[in-house]
Amino acid sequence: MTKIANRVLSHTELEQFGAEIDALRARTTATLGQADADYIRRVVKAVRYMGMAGRGLLFVGAFFHAVLIPCWIAGTLLLGLSKILENMEVGHNVIHGQYDWMGDPKLNGKTYEWDIAGTGDNWRRSHNYSHHTWTNVRGMDDDVGYGLLRLFPEQRWKPFYLAQPIIAIVFAILFEWGVAIQELRLGRWFAGKTSHAQMRKLFRPVGRKMAHQILKDYVFFPLLAGPFFLPVLLGNVVANVLRNLWTYMIIFCGHFTADVETFSKESVKGESRGHWYVRQLGGSANISGGKLLNLLSGNLSHQIEHHFFPDLPANRYAAMSVEVRDICERYGQRYNTGSLPKQFGQVIWRILRHAWPSRSRHSIRVSTVPASGESFG
Amino acid sequence: MNSPTSALELRAPARWQRFIAPLITPEIFDFWAARVHPTLSWQRPLARVVERTQASVDAVTLRLKPNRHWAGFRAGQHVNLAVEVGGTRLTRSYSLSDAPRADGSIAITVKAIEGGRVSQQLFRAAKVGDVFDIGPAFGEMTIAASPQSPIALLAAGSGITPLMAMIRALAADGMPAPVTLMYWARTREEFCFADELRELAKKFPAFRVVFFLTRAEAASADERQGRIGNEAIALLADVEKHQVFACGPGGFTEAARTLVAATAQSFMAEAFTPPPQIVDETGEVEITLTRSQRTLTVPRGQSILSALEAQGVRPAHGCRMGICNTCACAKPSGTTKNLHSGNVNAEPALALRICINGATSNLTLDL
Repeated sequence: MTKIANRVLSHTELEQFGAEIDALRARTTATLGQADADYIRRVVKAVRYMGMAGRGLLFVGAFFHAVLIPCWIAGTLLLGLSKILENMEVGHNVIHGQYDWMGDPKLNGKTYEWDIAGTGDNWRRSHNYSHHTWTNVRGMDDDVGYGLLRLFPEQRWKPFYLAQPIIAIVFAILFEWGVAIQELRLGRWFAGKTSHAQMRKLFRPVGRKMAHQILKDYVFFPLLAGPFFLPVLLGNVVANVLRNLWTYMIIFCGHFTADVETFSKESVKGESRGHWYVRQLGGSANISGGKLLNLLSGNLSHQIEHHFFPDLPANRYAAMSVEVRDICERYGQRYNTGSLPKQFGQVIWRILRHAWPSRSRHSIRVSTVPASGESFG
Repeated sequence: MNSPTSALELRAPARWQRFIAPLITPEIFDFWAARVHPTLSWQRPLARVVERTQASVDAVTLRLKPNRHWAGFRAGQHVNLAVEVGGTRLTRSYSLSDAPRADGSIAITVKAIEGGRVSQQLFRAAKVGDVFDIGPAFGEMTIAASPQSPIALLAAGSGITPLMAMIRALAADGMPAPVTLMYWARTREEFCFADELRELAKKFPAFRVVFFLTRAEAASADERQGRIGNEAIALLADVEKHQVFACGPGGFTEAARTLVAATAQSFMAEAFTPPPQIVDETGEVEITLTRSQRTLTVPRGQSILSALEAQGVRPAHGCRMGICNTCACAKPSGTTKNLHSGNVNAEPALALRICINGATSNLTLDL
């Protein structure tokens, strides 16, 4: 793998870089309209019909044993796909406020609740704010290893990390539950930094959402099948796990491939808008593929564009990426992209490599010294 | 006219709904319910167009059938209707032009306003079967049941609609008191309900209608020419005995107020005010916070978040650069300007990011 060194941008160049990205944003925003509204409603429709068909097939298989296996496989896959589409293209993107301009209360970023164990409210804080504002800033973006994995040499090594190849697999299978408890910061509770009373308060909405999901997928729908509850239950379990594995893979490819950077807290003080864009670029990686990959990843296959424009409808990212790539090229900035096997291979390598003690080979480069006194304010 | 703070309100769920709520969300219920019947919904008041009739050369009357989540109205009241234009839902207030009916249907008459995105859309494209979100009825300008004293109704332009509902309600009641309608428009073609009003005048001796033309000659016995003034009011034999209701543009209702408010037995007016126009970028505006019930004066054009913080208010916020959506809150009314793009927005919004928007008019925020 060849590493293209990013050109160090002068203060003026950074400003121009930011201005070009801003201009692209403005041009895209101006054209939002009926087509985008129709698109997201079509996806919602697909989610509902696929979910219904998946659950229906599970029941058919449960009651008619001659077709149990084909129905179970098709039903589970459809249900899993429905959940993937709901979580990624609808939930994640709607919760970002991407469709708030429509004014549709059903697609409102502040209130949308998704079909996953974690609450929308916790996600709004840990993901929309912490992760997107402080992407890959160590100590500020909890998504850097999720407090569980060591993926960068800059994270301090502990013997615990020797077990991370196993932990990473368990985490992938249980990903939705890991995300659900992320905001509880159980580590702080175990260390006595969070009181039991505070934890009870934090856990209440989390526990309620978890109970809702368990009741729906693992009690209610299986019980509808009466004595044949087992295949329905298993179908729900497998559908949820398939979704977990897929989302884990897409999300890890977004920020943990070989060439992505992490940043120190000091380097982001007084960041300008241009500087923020450059940091988002350095901390994100795309996955190249076709339209199906874009759809099933909720367009996180365009992680770079998503981090530039987290609040613009994701169905626009593919078109915007042409221009983003061109801008990056002109400013000598690496645009990190690769196929799914290539990007995920790099993620697996990181998980294996940094389980062992490792040292940063090059000091983390900050593209420029932030201008003093300039900030977003 | 004062619309409720939350444009489209929802009722509390019923007991059976609370019971099955853990298993099905209102969104999923509504998705499938809409496939059974277009206005079947968990809790959302919806109304479906059941009839469309041309009311005048530039106005259309839509008969709507609300679902059971809509609580009804009194003649003279208005509703907010959410209409989707170019993928964006826009909310507008319309007066209900029919009296309450046994079949539960309601009617709005929409005059196509030049440059009005919603009125143009409804006038051109609304068709039978369309479904809109509908808000609760609001408005104080209503007539008591079986009024005793004579009534004078002064309407200008689309101000006829709430008064028409009153006239129909009074007609259904057999015109229990003398009623005079004075109705102003520029030309004859712009009068809505003209045939019906003349029929009613023939049928009920207690009902009189006078049409005033401001840009055309009067041609029949019930027509006059000219704007609202003393000559018009002189047609009322004894103003001091009348309950007077006026509805129309702000200038019209103010003129009516000056002419009769002091002498009439009672006077009520509602004005259709155009959306606030931005005059300048300096000076101060008032921000009303509905949840904390505070009103603050802040500088125009500054980030609303910073301006509120400077006054000791601490709204939830995150990135302060318009990406994380943490500070987004509903804006029922007022005009804002995006400080990054310069885009101005005068529409009510469900989610306004206050960190990158400044106020350009008085605002109401759901904070």
